[in-house]
Amino acid sequence: MDKSLFRYIWTHSRRDQLVIFAVVIAQLPFYFWSLELPKRIVNEAISGGAFKNGNQTARALDFGFSLPSFLGGAKVVLFEGIEFERVGFLFALSGLFLALVLVNGAFKYWINVAKGALGERMLRRMRFDLVSIALRFTPDTLKRVKPSETATMIKDEVEPIGGFIGDAFVQPLFLGTQALTAMTFIMVQNVWLGLIAGSIVAVQFAVIPRLRRVQIRLGRQRQLASRQLAGRVAEIVDGMEAVHVHNATRWERAEIGHRLHYLFDLRFRIYKWKFMVKFLNNLLAQITPFLFYAIGGYLALQGRLDIGQLVAVIAAYKDLPPPLKELIDWDQQRLDVQVKYEQVLEQFSPESLIPLEIQDPSAVVEGPLEGPLVIENLHVYDAHGVLIEGLSLKTDLPVQMALIGDGPAPSVLARTLSRRVLGFGGRILFGETDLVRMTDATAGRHIAYAGTDPVLFPGTVRDNLVYGLRRAPQPGSQAEADRRRVLEARRTGNPEDDPTLDWLDYEWVEATGPHDLDARLIEALEIVGMRGDLYQLGLLGYIDAATPEEDIERFILARRKLEERFEGMEKGRLLETFDPERFTRQATVAENILFGAPRSGTASPAALMEDQTFRDALDDTDLTGDLVSIGLRIAQEMTEIFRDLPPGHPLFDQFSFIAADDIPEFDALVRRIASKGERSLKASEKARLIGLTLAYVEPRHRLGLIDAKLEERLLQARARFRELSGEDGPVAFHDPAALNLAVSLKDNLLFGRIAHGVADAERKVMHEIMEVVAELDLKEAVERIGLGYRVGPSGRLLSAAQRIKVNLARCVVRRPELLVIDGATTALGEAEGAKVLKRIVEMRPQASLIAVVRESAADTFDMVIKFDGTDATVEDRPGRRDRTVQEVAAQ
Amino acid sequence: MTLETEVQALRQVPMFREIDPARLKLLAFTSERVMFSSGQHFFAQGDPSDAAYVLLQGKANVVIQTPNGPLQVAQFSSNDLLGEMGILSDSPRSASIVADGDVTALRIDKRVFLELLGQFPQMSVAVMRELAKRLERTNAKLAELSA
Repeated sequence: MDKSLFRYIWTHSRRDQLVIFAVVIAQLPFYFWSLELPKRIVNEAISGGAFKNGNQTARALDFGFSLPSFLGGAKVVLFEGIEFERVGFLFALSGLFLALVLVNGAFKYWINVAKGALGERMLRRMRFDLVSIALRFTPDTLKRVKPSETATMIKDEVEPIGGFIGDAFVQPLFLGTQALTAMTFIMVQNVWLGLIAGSIVAVQFAVIPRLRRVQIRLGRQRQLASRQLAGRVAEIVDGMEAVHVHNATRWERAEIGHRLHYLFDLRFRIYKWKFMVKFLNNLLAQITPFLFYAIGGYLALQGRLDIGQLVAVIAAYKDLPPPLKELIDWDQQRLDVQVKYEQVLEQFSPESLIPLEIQDPSAVVEGPLEGPLVIENLHVYDAHGVLIEGLSLKTDLPVQMALIGDGPAPSVLARTLSRRVLGFGGRILFGETDLVRMTDATAGRHIAYAGTDPVLFPGTVRDNLVYGLRRAPQPGSQAEADRRRVLEARRTGNPEDDPTLDWLDYEWVEATGPHDLDARLIEALEIVGMRGDLYQLGLLGYIDAATPEEDIERFILARRKLEERFEGMEKGRLLETFDPERFTRQATVAENILFGAPRSGTASPAALMEDQTFRDALDDTDLTGDLVSIGLRIAQEMTEIFRDLPPGHPLFDQFSFIAADDIPEFDALVRRIASKGERSLKASEKARLIGLTLAYVEPRHRLGLIDAKLEERLLQARARFRELSGEDGPVAFHDPAALNLAVSLKDNLLFGRIAHGVADAERKVMHEIMEVVAELDLKEAVERIGLGYRVGPSGRLLSAAQRIKVNLARCVVRRPELLVIDGATTALGEAEGAKVLKRIVEMRPQASLIAVVRESAADTFDMVIKFDGTDATVEDRPGRRDRTVQEVAAQ
Repeated sequence: MTLETEVQALRQVPMFREIDPARLKLLAFTSERVMFSSGQHFFAQGDPSDAAYVLLQGKANVVIQTPNGPLQVAQFSSNDLLGEMGILSDSPRSASIVADGDVTALRIDKRVFLELLGQFPQMSVAVMRELAKRLERTNAKLAELSA
């Protein structure tokens, strides 16, 4: 991107700027005409100026112009006009006026839209350019970049620049012309007065920008400070665990408070300067008329100046300040956005970016990765010194290479070979290709790297696994090309690729379509030892639109089978099945009334009591009062039982219905009602008490509050709620013959609640589910739902081991020619890691594997590089690979 | 059966006899009522000790593994407390407990039990008194045997 904002704007929007400017100029005559016309209407039509001398008619709508006197002063008539009578003349001129108003409005509309579009296009280009640069950050640069600050810059800081771009060239030209015209007019009237006006303007232009420089400097500091604030807030949120573990909340509060004070102080100083400059500006503008009156009047009294001239000068001067003021404002804005632009650009001009040609997506070398792998005199350094010193080796591909030893060297070599470290001495060659010159596209095709601290993107497990298969929009998936989208993309230097198309390279993994691909993904997860987890995720997952109809039918069948099984076990008391006509004793009161789950959001008691339909259902069935009474009983019991525990004791959160913080409040409530009765309850208090009742489960809490009669009435409330809510309302109701999309697969299969108080119930139930799923051959269907599990921001909803496995599987799915594993298997534990490595080799013995492993796991590799500090010894054991290949072939 | 009946059952347990009824209610409420079918293990010898149980209904056998197979050494019945030594001494189960017929018991979680002891000295003292009594009885038996 260009260092200067104006050059950047000019390079990319020259044509549009000129077109807009041309239209602005073209609009001027119409504008002046519309200013002049009212005078004519008054003087000629209404006062009758045109009908003097007994003329019965007058010409209107004539169109022409006079040449200036130095060209002879002739009048050129383009249209002679039409003769009108007096009333007709008035209406003709008024009609003309109306037409001009419309024309001017249309011009204004067009100019505003064009300016807006121009600004937005440039903003789009700028943001895209910035992201493009960010994508080229080298690994070293990335270590110093704060993600949240980068995001703030791209999102917020360039925003005002976009608003300015439409005015960047047009405004000063337009206003400058206006101001210059007024100045010239004054000069023509009287040179001295002109000089006075000119010198005041010169002072304005000289002094005010100088004063504003301070303002700009403060603005720059403010921009940096608010960017850093965004960075700090993100740091705190990311590091919340550390903040709490080390009890640093007080310090963090102080730190943020300090920053906010600094920001306030900057803003305050900016305000002071801003209004000071404004004051000065106004003062200078007002001083000119003072000088005109005083000096001009004096000259007139002396008889050296014509009074008419003075009046004309003062009138002309009226037109001067507005464009001047706007010009100065424009200048202010210019400085402001220029500073912003420079500030942003500074952050996006790190010394080393990955060269553009390396990232050319089309520069891909197909076919297998060529050998031999040659490392010549490799030296790797970082800020702390030498990491690898003088490593040389040569090996044919494929190779199974183990990198072992203490210290950072094995990992550094792994990262270097997978191009995560770009600054090194010596050479690394794959056949004829130098690793440094290999394009991203080629490396992405052939080399995969799996570290111990992987980054997963929010989305499903599936989205993460297929991330490496998104190479280009697949031919055949081309939807109706959106012409406008493509044109806009071209105009703003954005890519024309449509991300909504199918980008997955099915062929690459020998799959025919999405269904087939899932099987490959499950295979990959099996290799990295995550298939069991995937099954569990599937049970916790939700059925979605992608779940095939036949799977859904079989899930319902599984539900029936499970019900039969549970009936035969433990006297049928392991699970209480949902029945639309029966109260589920093992479920909460809320669950019993809802008999379903909200399609979005949660069904927490507080949320339910906010819901009008729910409250109506309780009111209609006369339950409100009873539920309040029960809530009160619960509150009494809880405050009594937990009274002697200090607030904040862990037992509260675990057992009490009432959060520790709320105990004093409920305590007071209970006392008040004991003395004043239930009538004194406010609506909000009633809602809170009902909230307690809603979470109550008789067999679990055993307070003896729900009898058969109440169960019957709660069933009526259930029916009433369903009636009020409607089948397609916000709640998805349980149906014995259909799956509920709003609850997890496990809940769908169970279709009931596991009984409280049956020993070991959870384990037994899970065991039965597993058996039935296997019996009905539903395992893969469950796993497919597991692939749809959402992993959360950075994959935080998965465990650390699961994240490592998903990342490893993401590499395996891509079928790389060279897989570099940087400790990922070690992090899984010795036995598990060894199994994973073995399965990876077995799957593709023709591909290369380079893995950082413990020495004990290096046995099965056919080349071992052992690091002792920075020095390496290379042990070549070529026989091993052949044996492994033979073993695999023999199986 | 409600919380009240459980509190009654707890009061029959010597270790809890002198504890304030309000505390017993807290103990009962934070405990879980569990049903075991005949033959089902409460826990097995060698398991980590994670809970104590008070029998509310039914009988349970104490079984230890010997070289000659399992051997029943004692039987618990209603209102008996079992498994408390394991959670107090933080040692693995020294014997298995097996339900003899259908059993309902109150499961007192180890963590909760220790929390309550830490919170209420009165409960700790009651437990200590009970343990001291047992020690005294054992000493007396030992003296009898060696005499």
